[in-house]
Amino acid sequence: MRVANLRKTYDSAHQPYVALDGVDVEITDGEFFCLLGPSGCGKSTLLNILAGFEPATSGSVTFKGRAVTGAGRDRVMFFQDAGSALFPWLSVEENVRFGLRVRKVPKGEWETIIQTYLRMVDLDRHRTKFPSQLSGGMRQRLQIARALAVEPEVLLMDEPFGALDALTRRRMHSVLLTIWQRTGKTVVFVTHDIAEAILLADRIAMMSVGPRSTIAKIFTVDLPRPRDLTHPKVAQLFHEIEALLEPDVVRSEQLMAAQ
Amino acid sequence: MVNVRDERPASPPALPAPRISLRALRLSIGGSRFRGLLLSTASLAIAFSIWQLLSTFIFNPFLIPPPVEVIRTAIPMIMSGEIFADVSISMVRVLVGFISGSLMGILFGVLLGRIRILHELLDPIMELLRYLSPTAMITIAVIWFGIGEMSKYFLIFWGTFFIVVVNTTAGVWRAPVTRQRAAECLGANQLEIFVMVIIPSAVPYIVTGMRVAMASSFMSIIPAEILAADSGIGYLLQKSSLLLQTNRIFVALLTICLLGFVVDRIFRFLVERVLTRYMSYVSVT
Repeated sequence: MRVANLRKTYDSAHQPYVALDGVDVEITDGEFFCLLGPSGCGKSTLLNILAGFEPATSGSVTFKGRAVTGAGRDRVMFFQDAGSALFPWLSVEENVRFGLRVRKVPKGEWETIIQTYLRMVDLDRHRTKFPSQLSGGMRQRLQIARALAVEPEVLLMDEPFGALDALTRRRMHSVLLTIWQRTGKTVVFVTHDIAEAILLADRIAMMSVGPRSTIAKIFTVDLPRPRDLTHPKVAQLFHEIEALLEPDVVRSEQLMAAQ
Repeated sequence: MVNVRDERPASPPALPAPRISLRALRLSIGGSRFRGLLLSTASLAIAFSIWQLLSTFIFNPFLIPPPVEVIRTAIPMIMSGEIFADVSISMVRVLVGFISGSLMGILFGVLLGRIRILHELLDPIMELLRYLSPTAMITIAVIWFGIGEMSKYFLIFWGTFFIVVVNTTAGVWRAPVTRQRAAECLGANQLEIFVMVIIPSAVPYIVTGMRVAMASSFMSIIPAEILAADSGIGYLLQKSSLLLQTNRIFVALLTICLLGFVVDRIFRFLVERVLTRYMSYVSVT
């Protein structure tokens, strides 16, 4: 997936707001790629453009040589708010079935696919439950199963575990890593949590604060998984990123306060 | 974890009948429900007693007939079937108007919620028309449709339609963008998103609209029948008023209370039976 010289502006009352300017990055197939930055740095905007939900103002996003112009079946977005992302009127298995139905997957294959992915996220014993009967972590696992069932090549994740408690979050990290290693999907993961980025990613793209956000620096995390936050190399990287991020966090706060 | 069978305790051996204390009742599983029923009954009993006392000792029993008198009047009306005839006539009017109004309201609401230009064109008109309550429309309805059934259907339809349209449109608009995008990613086209995501997301709004409209139908059928009908509960009120039969007026009023309550309960029961899965809201996380 290639992003070249991407620019995104929003029309506002006074003057156009330049959210993203000059974003250039190439994400390799099968890579776990994190977009890291404080709130208001445009990382969600970038992800929405990758998903095809919003058009870029200029510049280009290409996936496997083809320009991304809309939401495509090869890139599935995974949302933080599972409550509104799931279909609350459908049971666990029906949520997974939704994607199979709209993708016209032959009916005969549904059962096997549903079974496979629900087992993968350990929800196969809760097939007939409704999302409202699941815990936060289970809902996110259902979102993963639903996304994987349609066999996308890329998983786009927008702060997916931001609303979960710390323990559930750690469990979700290991679930996600296991699935990523098993399926070899490309993952683009948005977060503002440095530790989360280091624990998960192959590469971390640090974004500068807006307006005119861009990718300020890319870190390669060449450490074996599972990673331990107390490991000296991990800790060193953590401090390095934190030091770089610090002025941006302050600026982000000032910008918010000024609005 | 454990399988289902393990979670259920074996049924306990028959116990001797427990001595019931109020505290135990309140704590028992069905306690809150039982307590609610107990309090509702007590509340009604107290209200009826006060009413009986007031109209016996303070107010003129002709103006406010005591409940015992009202019941004594009601019995022959029930026995002869007179009251049921009026109730069923009014109910049919309400149902025909309500169902047709709801169906058209949902259809229009969905279209207005979906097609921006249609909303922009029709909204100003509806913004003005919705201030014309069914009561305000009675006179013209009678001129248009006569004093027969059609004018009642029209009035109930009129009252229902606007409420359902407004709520349906709001529901369509508020279908979470996240959910639509999720469906889009999974491969749904625009039509599928609309039918399989947006409309189900709007169901709670539609149901709320229909419930409000049902209450409004009950409010508007009475004046319509008082002013222009020769049957129905409203007509019963009007006829009794001409003959100064306050007892019968009170029977009619109580019937309206009871009918509204029962119909709302039936509506809720049906919604629960048929639409439960669409009514469950999932919290933010």
